[in-house]
Amino acid sequence: MIKFIATNKWFHNHHVLRNINLEISKGEVIVICGPSGAGKSTLLRTINKLESIDDGEIIVDGMYLSDPKTDLTALRAEIGMVFQHFNLYPHKTALKNITLAPRKVRGLGKKQATEKALKLLERVGLTHRRDAFPVQLSGGEQQRVAIARSLAMEPKIMLFDEPTSALDPELINEVLDVMVSLAKEGMTMVVVTHEIGFAQKVADRVVFMDDGEIIETGIPPDIFVNPQHPRTRNFMSSVFHIPVFGETEEEK
Amino acid sequence: MDLLDQFSNINFYLFGTFPKGEVGGLLLNIIMAFLAICFSCVFGIMLGYSRLSCRLYIKLPCIAYIELVRSTPLIMIIFWFYFFLPYLFGGNVTVFWSAVVSLCAYAAAYQAEIVRAGIMAVPKGQLEAALSTGMSRYNAMRYVILPQAFKIMLPSFVSFFVSLFKDTSVTYIIGVMELTQTGIIVSQRQPDKIYAAYLSMAIGFWVVCFTMSHLARRLEKRIGVFDLESIRPDACRDEFMLVPKTKKTGEGVDETPSCCSSDSK
Repeated sequence: MIKFIATNKWFHNHHVLRNINLEISKGEVIVICGPSGAGKSTLLRTINKLESIDDGEIIVDGMYLSDPKTDLTALRAEIGMVFQHFNLYPHKTALKNITLAPRKVRGLGKKQATEKALKLLERVGLTHRRDAFPVQLSGGEQQRVAIARSLAMEPKIMLFDEPTSALDPELINEVLDVMVSLAKEGMTMVVVTHEIGFAQKVADRVVFMDDGEIIETGIPPDIFVNPQHPRTRNFMSSVFHIPVFGETEEEK
Repeated sequence: MDLLDQFSNINFYLFGTFPKGEVGGLLLNIIMAFLAICFSCVFGIMLGYSRLSCRLYIKLPCIAYIELVRSTPLIMIIFWFYFFLPYLFGGNVTVFWSAVVSLCAYAAAYQAEIVRAGIMAVPKGQLEAALSTGMSRYNAMRYVILPQAFKIMLPSFVSFFVSLFKDTSVTYIIGVMELTQTGIIVSQRQPDKIYAAYLSMAIGFWVVCFTMSHLARRLEKRIGVFDLESIRPDACRDEFMLVPKTKKTGEGVDETPSCCSSDSK
């Protein structure tokens, strides 16, 4: 579904993505983690070409991203994206936020689009908030509307860029619940997150990145509990507060 | 009393010699301002939008035009078009049209900057969100970015329109029969009542400008540019003052100086 082939990217002199090789198959849920500045978000944003790459190739659903003839709007219509800061349209109600793209891109009529949007709002549990403006919604509600907005385009792939990082702790679960149910339905998902619980529950593979490189890839228990690379071990112990060193287990 | 006498000239002030001759007076100011606003809006939006382009052959001419006009006095622009337009169109241009064109050229440069600032003020994530749902750049601009940008621009636009209306008075210098010109004519006819003539002009401008800003405030309130409190004319912000007003304690509560009261905030 998504294939990175020797991808490189520079911001001026800063080498943000170093020789990325990664293949993501249909229905897979990938969690990308790593310290800040590791290039996780950049990697995610290259998939729908919000960031372009300087070298290598990315193939998404058979479309070659470095080919200038690739129809970007068609590509992006197939890829949903959820942002850290929600990025809902503040001048439109929750319902209109969801119906805008289906109407303008897919050419749906007002009635059809509204019906679809209401179904999605029901799914994220926000039917009663359909006429609220984003400022009137809590962070968790905004993010759920944002997910519904992406789903309205019936994408084949969903990208999540730290979807819970800007939320208060008590609001995180309502967003994660939606994401878990989405994963169970077999959506192809690429998620940048620090939510270890989510990763352990639904991730098929975890990708650990540092300094623009993919350091390690593996199933969640391998990466979180028994990482091979010292950099991964270092990060897991400092960020997730998990005793990853054998000694602590043995001492007990 | 002299001011009341000016009432005999009210038709001349408001409409010039209109039914018999050409339109003039305050009505002409309004017509000029209206035409200049309409044309300059189109031109200014295009200019401000193009100025954001990364392509130098689009961006540089726009910057050159905006900076040239913004660093030139309006009266120079008026003279410039007054002498330049007949050269282009062979002397058939009336002073009215040369005034409108110069006001328009002047206003477009300022509006371009307002438009640019408004578009820049919309967070970058909005465009990314719109593009990532598969919308084209045109649709993203039209349905997501510009509606938000216009909301941000509206107060600057209104204050600029009010000042543009006042600037129409400068066109008297090339002989447009607008309110200032009519006032000057009246004052020359009655040299003993000059102050009354000039006062009448001031009232004329004031009435229109005040109406404009009042209507604008209601519009802003309706589309919610600001919270309602900041729009209230009597709103005050004493906590921002360097020397705050001493606090009034209502209903004769204890007048203890703040240094002694225990619960002073």
